[in-house]
Amino acid sequence: MIKRAWGVVAGAAALALSLGGCVVSNNPTASPGAGGEGTALSGKLTVACGAMEEVCDAWTKAFTAKTGVQTSFVRLSSGETVARLAASKAAPEFDVWHGGPADGYGAAAGQDLLEKYTPENASQIPDKYKDPNGYWNGVYVGALGFCSNAKVLKEKGVELPTSWDALLDPKLKSQISTAHPSTSGTAFTTLWTQVVLRGGEDQALDYMKKLHSNVLQYTKSGTAPGQIAGRGEVAVGLVFSHDCVLYKERGMSDLEVSFPAEGTGYEIGGVAVVKNGPNTAAAKAYANWALSAEAQEIGPTVGSYQLHTNPNAKNDPRMVDLNSIKLVDYDFAKAAAAKKQLTARFDAEVAAQPKS
Amino acid sequence: MTTSNPAAVAAAVPSAQTPRARGRRKALDVSTVVVVAVVVVLLAILILYPLAAIFGQAFSPEGTSVIATVLTSAVNRQIVMNTFILGVLVGVLGTVLGFLLAYVQVKVAFKNKRLFHILCLLPVVSPPFAVATAIITLLGRRGIITHGLLGLETSIYGLPGLTLVLVLSFFPVAYMNFKGMLENLDPALDDASANLGASGWQTFWKVTLPMLVPGFAASFLLLFVEAIADLANPLVIGGDFTVLASRAYIAITGEYDVAAGAAYSLVLLMPAVLVFVVQQYWVSRTSTVTVTGKPAGKPRLIHDPRGRIPLLVVGVTILAVVVGIYLTVIIGAFTKILGVNNEFTLDNFRYVLSGIGNESILDTTLLAIIATPIAGVLGMVMAWLIVRKVKRGSGLLDFLGMLGLAVPGTVVGIGYAIAFNTPLRFTIGGTTIQLLPALGGGAAIFGGAMAIVMVYIIRSLPSGQRSGIAALQQIDPSIDEAAASLGAESFTTFRTITLPLIRPAFLAGLIYAFARSMTTLSPIIFITTPSTKIMTKQILAEVDAGRFGNAFAFCVLLLLIVVTVMGAMSLLLRGRNDVRTQNGAGA
Repeated sequence: MIKRAWGVVAGAAALALSLGGCVVSNNPTASPGAGGEGTALSGKLTVACGAMEEVCDAWTKAFTAKTGVQTSFVRLSSGETVARLAASKAAPEFDVWHGGPADGYGAAAGQDLLEKYTPENASQIPDKYKDPNGYWNGVYVGALGFCSNAKVLKEKGVELPTSWDALLDPKLKSQISTAHPSTSGTAFTTLWTQVVLRGGEDQALDYMKKLHSNVLQYTKSGTAPGQIAGRGEVAVGLVFSHDCVLYKERGMSDLEVSFPAEGTGYEIGGVAVVKNGPNTAAAKAYANWALSAEAQEIGPTVGSYQLHTNPNAKNDPRMVDLNSIKLVDYDFAKAAAAKKQLTARFDAEVAAQPKS
Repeated sequence: MTTSNPAAVAAAVPSAQTPRARGRRKALDVSTVVVVAVVVVLLAILILYPLAAIFGQAFSPEGTSVIATVLTSAVNRQIVMNTFILGVLVGVLGTVLGFLLAYVQVKVAFKNKRLFHILCLLPVVSPPFAVATAIITLLGRRGIITHGLLGLETSIYGLPGLTLVLVLSFFPVAYMNFKGMLENLDPALDDASANLGASGWQTFWKVTLPMLVPGFAASFLLLFVEAIADLANPLVIGGDFTVLASRAYIAITGEYDVAAGAAYSLVLLMPAVLVFVVQQYWVSRTSTVTVTGKPAGKPRLIHDPRGRIPLLVVGVTILAVVVGIYLTVIIGAFTKILGVNNEFTLDNFRYVLSGIGNESILDTTLLAIIATPIAGVLGMVMAWLIVRKVKRGSGLLDFLGMLGLAVPGTVVGIGYAIAFNTPLRFTIGGTTIQLLPALGGGAAIFGGAMAIVMVYIIRSLPSGQRSGIAALQQIDPSIDEAAASLGAESFTTFRTITLPLIRPAFLAGLIYAFARSMTTLSPIIFITTPSTKIMTKQILAEVDAGRFGNAFAFCVLLLLIVVTVMGAMSLLLRGRNDVRTQNGAGA
């Protein structure tokens, strides 16, 4: 025992010395990305992926198969991606960012972390799914929906909701789950949708105040309301509809998706090239490929049922039919600019109020 | 029992802080200086440097404005209050629970002590989301027990649920602390007390309990800090109840504002520092030396049914809850979605054991196995320096070691990303000296695995350090002095005298270090790379994708790995002669 412990101590000390005392003047490991310029599509590519694990896996494998570039990914939420890109700004570890809501891309562009780049395929994408400043392009669209538990709705004697006002039904007291708009992009989309539909921030907050009594709790994560509804803890969760479809498919069979007739908000998932990344040439090729119909059609094969931004991509029956729902006129730049002020107001005027 | 010698009792009582002992502590020999230097350099690299990298952000204009709002904004004041309440509740309840179970284990006569012990340790392995999700499934609004059996619609989200989950997750730390201490208590004291006519209850209240003051303080502090720094549970079961750790996380992930996140974390350090200072002051006034190296007898067990039966009932009830939770996790691993769709399936394991799951299991286990011995030994060396060797600045050293736990994982993670993604270089007079290559991120050496091991070490160091300190405070420094006067150098004393005496605490530190490494999530998110797949992150991905069965299956495998490694470590360290019985044999 004693001998062993001593050995371990010695090992720790040796490690300490090798950590602290190692003085080298040139660094053999610090130049992995050299040779990216000029040589077309070679080397390695690292993707910061904001979508679900399986889609990330399928996307990167497909790109490797197509181009021979060794593509790997780390799955990160968009806030985590921005923080990591900012942390490694001096020596970026990622080449490209794929998936995850556009407001994160806006934040990254604001911190000078992305490279302005318009791929060839961007011409196929409608303008409303592209960054007017040219930092990112949309790869999918997710529409906000009502994710209802049919069984609980029946118990409460409430019809499947098809309008925002239907959520104010007193029978749904403490039966609605939504995330907090300052913690979740999904919930902020809900809030901004009200601003657009009701013509102003005051009117939007009025609606949220009325809804407040029916809200069980404001969750931290944007996807949690769908799961809470799936377990029957509440009747309706406010989430992006593709998440609800996925949970239903995964076994939460009582879930039912519906949309508000007045119109609903949406998110755009982006793709962008990281500024000064190790392999910019391959990154640009990847960003171009991600906008293609071929790349977008991968999503539904692995459980991602967002809408395609490329009109040439074939739809899957499990995806929402864009013609059957109404999307509001969502101004992402305006929404982002108003976010801080509006969520602070939400905190003070809605979330902190007692429920009636 | 030959002892019950009043002299032994007297010898046990004098303070460790006698002038004689102080005089001895002052004389630092060369080997001590070397050890202190090595430890300080290590801590500087492991924790100070990354924290400096991120806390620089807290003092940027945006950061300072956030710090200001903590005092002025009612919402933020409430968050600070919530954090404090949660910490105190979990600290007190977890300590009481841990003490009760340790007391039953050590002092009460019953069979199956081994099983009892293993069940007490089970919650050490609480993968993120597992306990919280199990509690929601069992006790939530549609809980199997609350709704299914009792027809209630209870709300588990918020402070009650959060406290329950955290107490159940963290009480083993307190249990391990108290178990080690109770086993080390000199039985002669009990005998003396009984011979003087005290009842069992009086002995407990007047003799046993006062001896354990450092244990209570250490447990409370550790649980308090664990509770306020925890992130996964407040996110899953916290509901509207926001604490500083979740606020900091949200600032970074939801508001893209790293400066604000750093600022909230800086505020989070304040209560941790406060509790720490109080504990230092309070404990240093009470001495509890019990391991004197002088003859001792066998511990007496409680056979009296008036004490035995209530104690056993309480102990078994607590463990029944623990077993219930872990059964839920295991059953959940074999069903589609527990509580919603209870169909039996093996698909979860099939999925988890193929491809990506396999890789993450291997990577995580390997990295944790590398980190564990380093963290465990470092923790004991720290404890030894703090209690025995370093007089001035021992508090500071202790605090340094605790930082890895007191700072929320998110902040540690980003600090690591900023600090270690690029090589550490200094330029002096035109020559650039590189102290460290890039350790974290995809372009670093070993594919960034080194940074992950380092995070594991600092996250799991504090528990070993605290249990080591509590154990050492019970041991009379005169044993060290005897070795020193026989010519042993101080590090030789540590190796041959101290370490064997604090073996239970060392083992506890190792076990906890491994379990903690395997279950760490929040700092890892910011330093994983394509070549290091980490299990906890896969679990998070599965929960996100709505595949709870897979998440539970991952948790079961994680549980199996940790239990196996824990068992192996116990065997390795227990196989030799037990020092305590050697002491007792002289009686």
